[in-house]
Amino acid sequence: MLFSRAVRKFRKSRLAVISAIGILAYLAIGIGIFLGLVTREDAFECVGPNHVPGFGAAQKPEKRFDDVDFELGLFERALKRGDKEEALAEIRLGRRRVADVPVEELEKRLDAAFEIFDELDVSRDLNREPQLWPKLGELEAAAARLWQPLEGRDAFSQRVKLAFGTDRQGRSILLRSVYAVKIALQIGIIVGVASVIVGTLLGAAAAYYGGWVDHLVQWLYSTLSSVPYLVLLSVLVFMFQGSAVEQSLVPLYAAFGLTFWIGPCRVVRGEVLRIKQLDYVQAATALGQRRSLILLKHVIPNVSHVMLVQFSLLFISAIKAEVVLTFLGLGVKDEPSWGIMISQAKQEVVNGFFWQIGAATAVMFLLVLAFNIFTDALQDALDPKHIA
Amino acid sequence: MWQYVVRKLLWNIPVYLGILLVVMVALRVNDPVWARLGKNATQEQYEQTKEDLGLHESFLRQYGRLLNGFDLDRYSWDKHGRTVRQELSQAVWPSLAIAGPALVLTTLVALLTALLAAFRRGRPLDRWLMAGAVVGMSISYVVYVILGQYFGAYKLNEWVGREIFAIQGYDRSQPLWWVQYCLLPVLINAALAVGYDARFYRAVIVEESTRDHVRTARAKGLSERRVWLKHVLRNAMISVITHVMITLPFLVAGQIVIEVYFGIPGMGSTLITAILGKDFPIVQGFTAVFAALFIVTNIATDVLYAVVDPRVRLQ
Repeated sequence: MLFSRAVRKFRKSRLAVISAIGILAYLAIGIGIFLGLVTREDAFECVGPNHVPGFGAAQKPEKRFDDVDFELGLFERALKRGDKEEALAEIRLGRRRVADVPVEELEKRLDAAFEIFDELDVSRDLNREPQLWPKLGELEAAAARLWQPLEGRDAFSQRVKLAFGTDRQGRSILLRSVYAVKIALQIGIIVGVASVIVGTLLGAAAAYYGGWVDHLVQWLYSTLSSVPYLVLLSVLVFMFQGSAVEQSLVPLYAAFGLTFWIGPCRVVRGEVLRIKQLDYVQAATALGQRRSLILLKHVIPNVSHVMLVQFSLLFISAIKAEVVLTFLGLGVKDEPSWGIMISQAKQEVVNGFFWQIGAATAVMFLLVLAFNIFTDALQDALDPKHIA
Repeated sequence: MWQYVVRKLLWNIPVYLGILLVVMVALRVNDPVWARLGKNATQEQYEQTKEDLGLHESFLRQYGRLLNGFDLDRYSWDKHGRTVRQELSQAVWPSLAIAGPALVLTTLVALLTALLAAFRRGRPLDRWLMAGAVVGMSISYVVYVILGQYFGAYKLNEWVGREIFAIQGYDRSQPLWWVQYCLLPVLINAALAVGYDARFYRAVIVEESTRDHVRTARAKGLSERRVWLKHVLRNAMISVITHVMITLPFLVAGQIVIEVYFGIPGMGSTLITAILGKDFPIVQGFTAVFAALFIVTNIATDVLYAVVDPRVRLQ
């Protein structure tokens, strides 16, 4: 087999195997999300007050007060509407629903909560006044009575959703960073596969046919690589501004697709220049096989190792470039991606809230790290000239 | 040698023509005038703006004007009364004030790390350094910038009790303005580039150190120091220099994220602001200049390479 020796070498490295397992795990998550494990609605659903820290970490009294204020506000607004029952039924924070009691009873409970609320003067700085903290506990207990107590699976699900806290719109950071795995894999795989195929075909054809084909391909990639890559990406994104697909991922795919094929094209061209001198290619030529067939059947399969390595390099670059472009306001617009999460975290970090940037970075870090190690091991196994 | 230089120059002419063409087409696929004015603009406004931009002329004429001086004397859309040239000459200096020192610092630290690792190849120090580089590379660029600003500016200032590094901005009238506004971006920039460069330099040095002539040098009894300095490093420097040369054009453009985040009015942030504001003259002019810079450094790199390595000329 073509790869059996490389596979054996690859499997000898424990780190490489672990990283491969890690990548497979991410892939499984991606497929799971694709099949509906976490839906797009889940990633946008409000599951609690904003900026709740993860793992139920303690919060400052002032923030706890604000959170209760937010919850009471939900009920107050609902009870002011004409169709109280319906409005109340619409209230939901993740799995939490309004307590299953008559409206009059609920109004009574709300009034009780507001009574305590008014006693805690809004203008006072709770963080500095410990004597008010027991009162705050009472207020929270009163507010909790408005909700139906969570049991069994619902309670577990709610805890999971709040595991990494919530962002500024009260959306689950955990679900968003996990849903972003799908977006990242989607971008990485589509861009990686397309670029490697285009690059390989162009590079192999350039090297194999030589002459004007070679000149044309070289001109094409020299041209596209003679603008710094981030600048070119920005200009290509500019191209789509105001068009129908602006909000989708299409501008990103197009920009990456037009720039990322250059790497594999260069490497494959160099490799094919070497391969075409080899005896077996000469033999095939002497046997009178068609040149296009030789290229497809004998030459390209022998650069498949280059394609594999290039794919994983591009995959990493695409994921990282997504974050940078999104940060600059040119990338993903409307999907929960790591880039969006990290960009949103700009303001949160200033206020000392690290859950969103931390979760997005950690989930992304593990994938990119696994891919980096995987690529290194792949190069070790496949390329005898690679220096470990 | 001269033949080689001339050949390189000739080869880059179509490349230059090509890239300006790509830029022009990319910027015109989606009518820049409508994109800017929005759908509610009147036909007259449209015609007027189109004429201001010179977009009413034929494509070839516009192409010719771009080739002949990048169309730099056109007025920017957002910054009233300022030409692209003025914007450009103003934006170059802040970019260089960060990019230059960052390049020097990155190269020095990366080379030192690479040398240490290569010298101790396969030993724990090497493994830790390279593991650190891989881990560092796996964290997004943007995260370094955000956290770097938070801990380097906010927290440090809070801790010391007075402002050491500015959180944002660029003001040359301050005494010690460079330390205040540029040093932190430079440090962050260096921190995130060192990983990549150190890995590359280490690979180069290790490759050189396994060459036959190095073994011969050892066999004839040269001291370890002499072997490393004269036989390994000297050859490795060729790759190091070319690597630095290749990154030169990125210096001007590659700081985009840092410039934007730290509010430094350099070329990168000017370009991004222009793209977001659909300021067509600036986008076109800046991109064309970037391309020209890139091609000039490319030629310089090739020539330098041919000077230090005679084999290149023969290809």
